[in-house]
Amino acid sequence: MTTALEIYRDNAAAWLQTQIAEFGREARRGLSHEEDLALGRRWQAAKFGAGYSAITWKPEHCGQGLTALEKLAFEQEEIKHGFPNDYFGVSLGMPVPIMLRYLPDGWKQERATAALRGEEIWCQLFSEPAGGSDLAGLRTRAEQDPATGDWIINGQKLWTTWAQHSDYGVIVARTDPSVPKHKGLTYYWVDMKAPGVTVRPVRLAEGTSEVNEVFFDDVRIPDSQRLGPVGGGFGVAMETLTIERYQATDPAGFGPPLQLFIDEAKAIKIKGRPAIEDGRIRERIARTYAMQSAMGAIYERTLLSLAAGLQPGPEGAVHKLVSVRARQKLSEFAVDLKGVEGMRYDDDLTRKESWSKSWMTAPTGRIAGGADEMLLNTIAERILGLPQDHRPDKGVPFNQIPR
Amino acid sequence: MSILYDEQQQAIADEAGRILTARTSSARLKELLEVTGQYDDVFWETCREQGWTGIGIPEDNGGIGLGLIELGLVAEACGALACGAPFLNTGFGVAQAILRYGDAATRAEWLPKLASGEAIGAIGFAEGADMVPGGPALRCTNGRLTGAKRSVAGGSAADVAVVLASGEHGPVLALVKLGQSGVTATAFETFDNSRCTADIAFDNAEAVVLDTPDALAAAQEVLSLQAVIAAHEQVGGANKMMTAARDYSLTRHAFGQPIGGFQSVKHRIAEDYVLVELARANAVQAAASFGTDTFAVNAAAARLSATEAYDTVSRDSVQVHGGIGVTWDADLHLHQRRARSLAIEQGPMVFWEDTLVDLLAGDVA
Repeated sequence: MTTALEIYRDNAAAWLQTQIAEFGREARRGLSHEEDLALGRRWQAAKFGAGYSAITWKPEHCGQGLTALEKLAFEQEEIKHGFPNDYFGVSLGMPVPIMLRYLPDGWKQERATAALRGEEIWCQLFSEPAGGSDLAGLRTRAEQDPATGDWIINGQKLWTTWAQHSDYGVIVARTDPSVPKHKGLTYYWVDMKAPGVTVRPVRLAEGTSEVNEVFFDDVRIPDSQRLGPVGGGFGVAMETLTIERYQATDPAGFGPPLQLFIDEAKAIKIKGRPAIEDGRIRERIARTYAMQSAMGAIYERTLLSLAAGLQPGPEGAVHKLVSVRARQKLSEFAVDLKGVEGMRYDDDLTRKESWSKSWMTAPTGRIAGGADEMLLNTIAERILGLPQDHRPDKGVPFNQIPR
Repeated sequence: MSILYDEQQQAIADEAGRILTARTSSARLKELLEVTGQYDDVFWETCREQGWTGIGIPEDNGGIGLGLIELGLVAEACGALACGAPFLNTGFGVAQAILRYGDAATRAEWLPKLASGEAIGAIGFAEGADMVPGGPALRCTNGRLTGAKRSVAGGSAADVAVVLASGEHGPVLALVKLGQSGVTATAFETFDNSRCTADIAFDNAEAVVLDTPDALAAAQEVLSLQAVIAAHEQVGGANKMMTAARDYSLTRHAFGQPIGGFQSVKHRIAEDYVLVELARANAVQAAASFGTDTFAVNAAAARLSATEAYDTVSRDSVQVHGGIGVTWDADLHLHQRRARSLAIEQGPMVFWEDTLVDLLAGDVA
């Protein structure tokens, strides 16, 4: 790794240290959701002020014009302290960058700056009730008013992260049902406060409401809110999904670190002896460590590849599949190990601090961004060149696909 | 040391793969399965010619320098073809033990021979399931060994061995020449005969006690070094079995489509890909951390991932192949055997799990 990058990382780490008291994990403890969001907005503004909010963006978009390496270095340091950046990952990760690529200058710069400061939030309206992984199968319609050229949107989206806090969103809708499903889609941005938009938070099993269902009833938008050509929406959607290619990852799958398990296994007694002396526990620790250490090495190789100007290999696809699945299993095992004490559920602890909370939230992590089966398909088809699944709707006009 | 291979390292890997493919054959490997105690001399000759036996031994001692990363790459190429001999590991282990703990005379006598491949080295630490016994039954008194080591990998082919024995003041590592009177190595049949596994009996045999501050720690360190080489061999084999399953699933049709199109099959192969990638990452990380504080932990992790990968992927590959996969003619059983022999020779899973957890939990002084 280059010295310049190490200096960048050290500077970032030093600055982050000065922010922990105001924005770190302890500062967030006990806050209501609204208070935490407000703190998050201030954290975003602080990052903006310090020049860390748009590391890879172009300078004309208030970015620093640096590479993925600097961004990853910053995120690796930031992730350690539990700062309130949850609300801005989607917004700044995909919708705002794609908007910057497609809209004319002017208004978009204002929006980007507001988003970077945490004043405004964008959401991404892709998923629908009937189509999880089949993005091109979406049914929300956009019909053009021949008199004005405006588009009128009707339909329902689902799993929209932070839609309840969003000011704007990007949306894909069907504009031509008479052509095969990939070809009849068009991409727009919408004002989430516009008449006809209704957001209903979906309460997840763990009790939180990060995602929403969003209804569109005759929502009218001008043609100037279209991104890309009519019928070209699938391509823009794919482009959106590939913008955020390199993100800081966590070998623990965003659950508690293995060291916490080791510490507890030393403290917990089984038949009067420390649990860490039990072979079943030792096996679990050793196998989990080996997996996490491999994930760390793969990640480091990605960084080195980027630094060497190479395109990293496809191993990144492995990360989510392996790390979150392992986190789910280890959390289940940890809850089990604690016996009846394992039931305790402390809302004040994060999912990185509490095995029961980690266990309760792991299924969401395992499904969001693609269930295991989708990730395995990606590995099998894109990396190993195995055949695609049977797709009887291929090439068939959307309105002739049997429902 | 970087975990990203440079051009020179990549060239070593490519060249090793090319030469081994040209000179070894599965037919030859299968012949070796039907006899006891015979290793692939063409393979070993190739190792010598290419200078692979000298990797990891300094130039002053007749070696070619280079390190674990390069040896790992060669080992991966060997593993892919299920060729090889236990000396790839144990010869390196013996040389490293001598380098660290041998006196000048011992180094001068053995290192050039080990580096050139003229001498073959074996390691005899284990007694039963105990890889590093604290009180070995093998005795070493006044530089003389009495007792036995059972199931020594490469034991019937080796010229020299490093053994763990009980000395007058506790465990010692001793270097013993195997050709002498008083040493009897008896090969026995195993499911992977070319490993030349043998029981070695010592009857007042002459030995040189190595100057180790802590013989058990030194033995563990030698095993860690060998584990990293073995892990690379295992990765090579696992990757080959994963690729074989993939290729076969594209050519074999059932119910009107390639079987690789069935999710049950494609997901199995994708899971195997994941295991190979994890194992490879840990193996390379371990090799790159040679000489640092994290080496012991990384070596243990590499060992666990590699054993899991090779066993699982060879098992799965046979499953994907169906009937043809269990025949003598198909080469899958070569890897099935090698996966297990490599797993056992360098210490079973429970040994490495214990090693790793002791290190992580800070229970080791």
